[in-house]
Amino acid sequence: MNSSHHRWLLEQIPQWETDGLLTPEAARTLRARHAVDGSQPSAGQLIMGALGALLIGTGLIAVIGYNWDDFPRSVRLLFAFLPLLGSQVFSFRVLQQGETAAWVRETAGLLQTLATGACIAIVSQIYNLGGEWPDFLFWWMLLSLPLAWLLRSKAAAIFYLIAIAVWSIHQTEHGRPWQDSPQLYPLLLLGLLPYWPGWPPKTALSVSVRWVMTVSAILGLCSAAFFVSMRNDRYYDFMNDEVFTWLWSLTAAVLVLFPLNTAGMAESTGRKPQVVLGSLWLFGYAVAATFSDVGDHLLGGVLQAVKLPWCQGLLVVLAVFVVLAVMRRRWAVLAIASLALLPLFALPFTPEKLESTTILSWLVTLHLAAIGLTLIVLDFVGRPSAPRLGALVLSALIIARMADSHFSLLAKGLIFIAVGVAFLAFNLLMSRRHRQLQSSTPAPALP
Amino acid sequence: MKTLPLILFGMVALAQWAAPLMQIWTHERTLTQGTLIKLKCTAPDPYDPLRGRYLAVSPVQREVTVPKDMKLEAGMPVYATLTPDANGLTTLSTVSLTPPAGVTYVRLKTRYVYDYDSKAAIEWPFDRYYINEKLAPEADKWFAENIRLKDGIVAEVRVLNGRAVLEDLSLNGKSFREILKERVSAK
Repeated sequence: MNSSHHRWLLEQIPQWETDGLLTPEAARTLRARHAVDGSQPSAGQLIMGALGALLIGTGLIAVIGYNWDDFPRSVRLLFAFLPLLGSQVFSFRVLQQGETAAWVRETAGLLQTLATGACIAIVSQIYNLGGEWPDFLFWWMLLSLPLAWLLRSKAAAIFYLIAIAVWSIHQTEHGRPWQDSPQLYPLLLLGLLPYWPGWPPKTALSVSVRWVMTVSAILGLCSAAFFVSMRNDRYYDFMNDEVFTWLWSLTAAVLVLFPLNTAGMAESTGRKPQVVLGSLWLFGYAVAATFSDVGDHLLGGVLQAVKLPWCQGLLVVLAVFVVLAVMRRRWAVLAIASLALLPLFALPFTPEKLESTTILSWLVTLHLAAIGLTLIVLDFVGRPSAPRLGALVLSALIIARMADSHFSLLAKGLIFIAVGVAFLAFNLLMSRRHRQLQSSTPAPALP
Repeated sequence: MKTLPLILFGMVALAQWAAPLMQIWTHERTLTQGTLIKLKCTAPDPYDPLRGRYLAVSPVQREVTVPKDMKLEAGMPVYATLTPDANGLTTLSTVSLTPPAGVTYVRLKTRYVYDYDSKAAIEWPFDRYYINEKLAPEADKWFAENIRLKDGIVAEVRVLNGRAVLEDLSLNGKSFREILKERVSAK
């Protein structure tokens, strides 16, 4: 349940009490259980505050862009520092007052972030400083990062997450030192830890920050994987797609297995973007690996990737996450994450010459089939599961196998139709089954 | 009221001032104490979304000869000695991996190294000259009219301890900004 659900429930309680549906004691219990954190801003407040700060900030940048040629340098430098000073005084007052409305903190955080950027921009304009915009972005995001911790500003945190991802994507050019490359991304991401203190964290991140953080982590870590897998033959840079594809899959497995506390595990999958996006990649990767030529290509990449320190680091992190997931009995995500590790199991059985070996293709096909069947069977034995996802995995597998089979077009067409019909029938069966289960289970009695 | 967040905030605020102030200090020092050098260059007119209109300044000399005993790789910094020619324009003569003594020099970044002819492509520490957006259209026209002149556009750069700061652009010894202002007011 998100805060809007809690608010709705709290609004209904007085009416339910009046109607005699709830005893005063039950109403008290519900109010305590579904209390809304008043410090959390409503979406409207946040949007209005952020919009105001954005308009002022972008206005400042536009004023700077005009380039006030007629004023001496000292006056132009005042233009740079006065808005920064103003925003700092505003943020200081917000901090000094302590418990201020969340939207005020957000506005202060965003305004100071933009004023910092505007200040650096005008100084570099006045002195005709060279350099690429990512250098500018790098210093801007670092100087704005502490605002996310100190003002608890979601806007400053989101700005930082977007900025580190954009910076990392830009730094993938071959030959950069590690501190100027996307390999710095994990350290930059760790910089946000004070925004989310404690382990396990005491407060849950909002869904919007989770999504931005996940997308940022995907872009940043995948940029690093791309960077480390580049080859250079002195004059030309080559992309090593078979290497970074596997590194991306390991990254997805790390995301899927990211450790969660009990409350986090109990949340719906939609509130765990790292699981949603990581699983989507891993299923796509696994279905592609069922094709023997793709499987061979990936195996070749794995042989090169395991020599890279970045890959070894990913494997160590993954091993730690696997242990934690086993301790917490997160079998479903473990099954999905294991798809990324299949090439490692295939390696000992792979001949020296990788030409047309079907080992990985078979391994992934069997593993995917096992996952699909397990997801369906678990639901039938009354355990929590995702039977429709299971059916989807099996259907995708059958379609993939048909695509590279030697059956005639007619046979393939008939099989596709059969799979489609079976999928629809299964969907219908599951809907009926769930309706029956709901009608046979008595409604929970209210205390 | 907690004190620690306020102390931390004070440090952040100081850092937000310190970063641009450091830039100002080093650049002001170069502009006031640095040696003036003149480089022949080209200057097309692109746009920066954050900092407005500028001329992309590109000195004509973009390669240096690498001494045979020097092991140079792409991305490495080099120190190039600046030598004025008979026309008062400056060229890069020798390069070294350490700052040379007793001469005017500039710190450059190596972009590529060409082994076959012992040359290296270099990256200048400045690449843009910001202009007022009112003057920008005139700058476009001026640039198109003057780019093929023999004398060409000259970048006036101040150099101190290897750091270079672009001060002005000029044509036949006259400031680019002054030329543009005269052209705009004459219309």
